[in-house]
Amino acid sequence: MNTRLRHLLGRVIIYALLSAGAVVMAFPFYWMIATSVKSPQEAQQAAPIWFPERIQPANWRTAWRLGAQGDRPWWGGFAPGRTVTLRLRVEDPDAGPLRARVPKPPAVFSDPRSESTRIRIEAANGGWEIVLENTGTQRFTTLPLVVWIPKDAGKFRAELPPDAVRSQRGFWRLEWVNVTPGLFGYLFHNYREAWHAAPFARYFFVSFFTAGTQVLGGLLIATMAAFAFARIRFPGREAVFLLFVATMMIPGEVLLIPNYILLAKLDWLDTFYALIVPWLASVFGLFLLRQFFLSLPQDLFDAARIDGASYWGMLWRIAFPLAVPGLVTYGIFAFLGAYNALLWPLIVTQSPEMRTIQVGLQAFIGEAGSDYGQLMAASTMAILPIVLGYFFAQRHFIQGIARSGIK
Amino acid sequence: MVRTYVFPGLLALAVFSGLLHLSTQFEIVRAPMGALFLAFALAGPVAAYLAARLLPAGAWTRLGLALFAAGMAAGFWIPPALDWLPLAGVFLAYAGSRARLPERDAAAFWGWVFVWPALALMLIWNIFPSFFALWISLFDRFNYIGESRFVGLLNYEILWRDPLFWRALSNTFWYVVLTVPTGILLGTVVAVLLNERIRGLGLYRTIYFLPYITALTAAAAVWQWIYHPEFGFLNWLLGTPGLDWLHTPDGIFALALAPLGIQLSGFWAGPSVAFTAIMIMTVWHFLGYNVVILLAGLQSIPAQYYEAAELDGAGWWQMQLYVTWPLLSPTTFFLAIIGLIGAFQVFTQVYVMTPTGGVLNDTLTVAMYLYNKGFRDSDFSYASALAVTMFVIILALTLVQRRVLERRVTYEH
Repeated sequence: MNTRLRHLLGRVIIYALLSAGAVVMAFPFYWMIATSVKSPQEAQQAAPIWFPERIQPANWRTAWRLGAQGDRPWWGGFAPGRTVTLRLRVEDPDAGPLRARVPKPPAVFSDPRSESTRIRIEAANGGWEIVLENTGTQRFTTLPLVVWIPKDAGKFRAELPPDAVRSQRGFWRLEWVNVTPGLFGYLFHNYREAWHAAPFARYFFVSFFTAGTQVLGGLLIATMAAFAFARIRFPGREAVFLLFVATMMIPGEVLLIPNYILLAKLDWLDTFYALIVPWLASVFGLFLLRQFFLSLPQDLFDAARIDGASYWGMLWRIAFPLAVPGLVTYGIFAFLGAYNALLWPLIVTQSPEMRTIQVGLQAFIGEAGSDYGQLMAASTMAILPIVLGYFFAQRHFIQGIARSGIK
Repeated sequence: MVRTYVFPGLLALAVFSGLLHLSTQFEIVRAPMGALFLAFALAGPVAAYLAARLLPAGAWTRLGLALFAAGMAAGFWIPPALDWLPLAGVFLAYAGSRARLPERDAAAFWGWVFVWPALALMLIWNIFPSFFALWISLFDRFNYIGESRFVGLLNYEILWRDPLFWRALSNTFWYVVLTVPTGILLGTVVAVLLNERIRGLGLYRTIYFLPYITALTAAAAVWQWIYHPEFGFLNWLLGTPGLDWLHTPDGIFALALAPLGIQLSGFWAGPSVAFTAIMIMTVWHFLGYNVVILLAGLQSIPAQYYEAAELDGAGWWQMQLYVTWPLLSPTTFFLAIIGLIGAFQVFTQVYVMTPTGGVLNDTLTVAMYLYNKGFRDSDFSYASALAVTMFVIILALTLVQRRVLERRVTYEH
């Protein structure tokens, strides 16, 4: 009995410790995602908001309806001739009428969005209806709105929660960044804003192209060299191999300046060459694949030899298909390394067109200032492809890492 | 016997003449280029002649060797786009004599063909630059803008007296000393717990590993937000509103010992609060890597050791202490080496969270100082001197670690 109790207690402690650790590990991700769907006012609260308005399904329904009224239910918008109705309940409707306005961006002479939106405010049972009509000929992707409610009207509840509520003399000033959001337009507001605030599509392209080319080119080069080291007896093999081992001791920082100079002399700065070529040959990949080729039975190659296969044929017909697990491991590592790198792309690129996603994100951190919702949305976007890949091919990731550790 | 070296030699000549050709285009090395070119231009035909005498003769072999000789001799005068001509000649010569070559010669040829792409890239982007870094560190502010002259070890002398360098080095030192053991220790605890045949191992492992694959840039942005002085989560959690984690330059040891009346300053004040915050983020980021490696190490320990220990009446703690820990030491050792090398080069998270190196340079690391010197101040020489110094330090530490720790590592199972 005593031992059973002790065993049980031990189990409980183990699970408690592991779970507590897991919460700490996972929390930053939750916090990032939660912040990415917060309005600036929600993000800037002294006490944290665990479930922001934008992830509450009740609000999704309203967002969907408003989006459908404005233009499209998923992504919203405000098309010509459409009318959108936003309901607002107040405790005491007799306290006085509301005021509503489509805010102009600061310092513009004419703003078609506010000029072609006609606003009517109608009394409805227990509150007000704000009816917005697009009288112009232009479609708008978003429609911001500001509403003033007299403070005498008591408590109020808007159908779509406002993104900010401020006090302004005798009024509550309610602000919406978009009253025709549609479901996705509502939930992913910060993502859409961030996406348009910086050329993230281009950043993603640069990152994927760089990482993809590095992986493919690196695989080709490393496979050939690894096969030669593992399976071909050629004069000078040991010496060259020693040279490769020696390069592993060189820390990356030593190479920054000379490689930068070399690229500058080649006129390759700010091009894809600069991002890709210096990283094509990887000693890590070479060692990993060599290990794989060494573990294949020699009989296989002898048989191929007798059948008249050349080394070229042996490499691609026999060794390559059998080394797929090693290739996947190296591919994942090379892709991760290229995709997540900051220092190198930061140094060799200048123009926004050549920024990788990490450099773009780093620049965005500087530019976004205090809009943490957008910042976290951008961060989420930046890690999303890798995280998705991880969930998709988790086994390969973990086995790959484990394999790199056991030599 | 000599014949085995014919093809590797021809390949090497062809590749090197191509590399030489490339380098002249960009005036990287101010070596007596003319003499080198003449040497290659002469060596080509001589090598082709010797090869023709050693190789089994055939029409294609002769044609290939002729192409090689012509390409090499033309060297300086043909456009770089035609550098593949000598290479093509070698391939043609090989194809022509293949049928009559012994196995060993074929192996020599293909071995070098397969190795050359990787080797050439290594020579261009790793090996040559390493020496180049050493070389430009001996100049006075070499940056292709102004005039520069050879000053010998002056940069190293300045470095020795540079307070910012010492600041960066001591910061980096604390970073290595605090993050690497913490990461390994925490990783061991988690791995041992995960190894206790628990349910939901996959889920836990997924969660613990997730930070490692996320980009440091994004992770640093998230932690910067968690550390935010006004709206940060941490300040709410700890009830310390307004505490600006990333802009507090006080050393943590000094802060911890101040209530006891002990005043610490300079190096012994320890890493600043800001830097400690960055270290916590770093441990979080890399923990999953340690866990996965240690878990693999744990799973490779044979079960019979535990069974034997159990028979001897060892408790759980004793088993961890006397069986797991020693048998896990090769893995721990590997992580310590990898961690040391990686930690010495820390840049990304520091740069994202404190782009200016913090208040009073309290988060300046060696890599960041190098970046600032090289790419902000355009002083390639000084930055290279820093890089070389860093290389020497890392190398020395790795060797020391090897000597000190390896004696305690148990390799046999």
